[in-house]
Amino acid sequence: MSDEAVRMTTNGASRSFSPAPLDRSRGLGDFVPAPDEDVLVCRCEEVTKGDIRRAVHDGMYTMTEVRRYLRVGMGLCQGQSCTKLVRRIMAAELGVSPAALDAETSRAPMRPVEMRVLGNEEAAGGADAR
Amino acid sequence: MNRHDLIVIGAGPSGLSAAIEAAHAGMDVVVFDENARPGGQLFKQIHKFFGSKEHHAKVRGFRIGDELLKEADAAGVRVELDSSVLGLYPDREVVVRHGDEVFHAKGDAVLVATGASENTLGFPGWTLPGVIGAGAAQTMMNLHGVRPGDRVLMLGSGNVGLVVGFQLLQAGCEVVGVVDAAPRVGGYGVHAAKLARCGVPFYLSHTIVSAEGSDHVTGVTIGEVDRSWQIVPGTERHFDVDTICVAVGLSPMSQLLDMAGCDMVDDPKRGGLVPVCDESGATSVAGIFASGDVSGIEEASSAMIEGRISGAAIADYLGYLEHEGETRRVGELEGSLDALRQGMFAPKNRGTVPERTEEGCPVSMNLLEHGFLSDDEVLAYPGVTHAKGVHAVIECSQNIPCNPCQDACRKGCISIGKNITSLPVVVGDAACVACGMCVASCPGQAIFLVDEDAGDGFATVTLPYEFLPVPSVGTRGRGLSRSGEEICDAVVESVRCVSAFDHTNLLTMRVPEDCAMRARFFRPAPADADEEAVS
Repeated sequence: MSDEAVRMTTNGASRSFSPAPLDRSRGLGDFVPAPDEDVLVCRCEEVTKGDIRRAVHDGMYTMTEVRRYLRVGMGLCQGQSCTKLVRRIMAAELGVSPAALDAETSRAPMRPVEMRVLGNEEAAGGADAR
Repeated sequence: MNRHDLIVIGAGPSGLSAAIEAAHAGMDVVVFDENARPGGQLFKQIHKFFGSKEHHAKVRGFRIGDELLKEADAAGVRVELDSSVLGLYPDREVVVRHGDEVFHAKGDAVLVATGASENTLGFPGWTLPGVIGAGAAQTMMNLHGVRPGDRVLMLGSGNVGLVVGFQLLQAGCEVVGVVDAAPRVGGYGVHAAKLARCGVPFYLSHTIVSAEGSDHVTGVTIGEVDRSWQIVPGTERHFDVDTICVAVGLSPMSQLLDMAGCDMVDDPKRGGLVPVCDESGATSVAGIFASGDVSGIEEASSAMIEGRISGAAIADYLGYLEHEGETRRVGELEGSLDALRQGMFAPKNRGTVPERTEEGCPVSMNLLEHGFLSDDEVLAYPGVTHAKGVHAVIECSQNIPCNPCQDACRKGCISIGKNITSLPVVVGDAACVACGMCVASCPGQAIFLVDEDAGDGFATVTLPYEFLPVPSVGTRGRGLSRSGEEICDAVVESVRCVSAFDHTNLLTMRVPEDCAMRARFFRPAPADADEEAVS
């Protein structure tokens, strides 16, 4: 993915695709437990709000890092449900705007698919029907 | 691997419209859709659409879907169902899953019209069975004929929340309230007013504190939020409900465009991560286009026009159109799209609340804060007049792109003019014949026929009624105010439904004279009370 500045959109762009990395030398203060710690955020991978907040305090400052650290957004729905929530929780914990966080990477397969199906490529002759 | 002139991903309103336009230009078009039925969300839309005639105004969404499918069929568009596109690769190659196999296909152009998915909100208890998306509620009710629950709380006062909230009432659910953290109703005032006069309260500046229950939802607690969105202690309120419906916005399903290397931007006004694209939907990658909700959340009417623009632009891009023809066609379509993007709720006006309408009438704050026009406010609008005999009272108070009432009246009683966001004006010297076409054609159900002096101290009010069972003539009940309060006794004097009304019944109720301008809904008396009255 190129880092070049995004062209202005016709409808008005508000954030370029790759914001500047956050300053990691900045302290976040102590982790303070909150009453809604146990609320599930990513239900596919069963990750709670507290898990995400703690991950930030463990040094996970980007969406990519927190995904790899907790598997948040990497389950059945591929983050379609929780990505906005995760972004909001991380931004609040880091004290930045949600737009300051990196965009998640989109990868194939876009839908959950069994390996036996992914490997079962239709024979060339079978494409006649299409 | 097969090659096509155009591969469209998503057979919703936008994708189908683009495919039709491209096929008309002589292109070989295939549409892949992961669902078992084409049409996207259109077939869940049982309400009448806004806009003008060219936007299929006053036609119910699922009928627009039927028309679109017929048109696609006639144009020779091939729709491949149960076909999930798993990836979009360099040189516009897609990998598609169908059944237990995957196959590859290449398009000279690819249009991504994958639409959007619903947002969620993570409150304690949100994973309990019974917490559902508004889209899920619509699917259950309108596709499968299943009532989602008995007592429902709606979270979200945008058009989705309001429209689905009303459909829940139609399905026989009790809606205990519409809750929104924002201080104002997000959707059209007319949609809110339909709910309010049925007695549904609005809780603005409120959010869900928690959903309760062990293995399913049995209750919900809401509370008022302060300016930093924190619950104000002591404002909590509890409701016994078995269903919580969440309608807190949509996110574009734009991942295919992202993986294809299109420049993307996170634009909250358009709902999230969207491709950077021009008016025709062309992205930064040559040959890849996007249209509909995937390129910015709007609604089905604009998605259909966007699709047509993209389809024509793609035909031009691949040399299937003589440029002059394309320019003219796109010019027409852009005019049509522009007409939909005007008024108080236009994308460009999102987040702002005008003090006055385009005509200079005060914008009702009561409507924005409680979901209904107050008895005083309603008199400020040009559709609300006093007259002798039966006349139309049009409680349309916000500039939204919609004008079917103007065409519906053959007698020229209603005037909107060229600008379709203008408020309808009831023309004083024209003679209303009480045909009711305006009442049935108003997608916002905001038109009533009123005879302020029907004799003997009574008045009659004719209202659009879309509930079953339809009360029979002579049924006794109560007249409800705009806020849903029972204000008087009422008797059904007539019920009319002709095919041109498309299942909107026109119920005329007789109410005391002083309620002519206040009673706006009819609630039949409970069956047992009726019997008591007889004995």
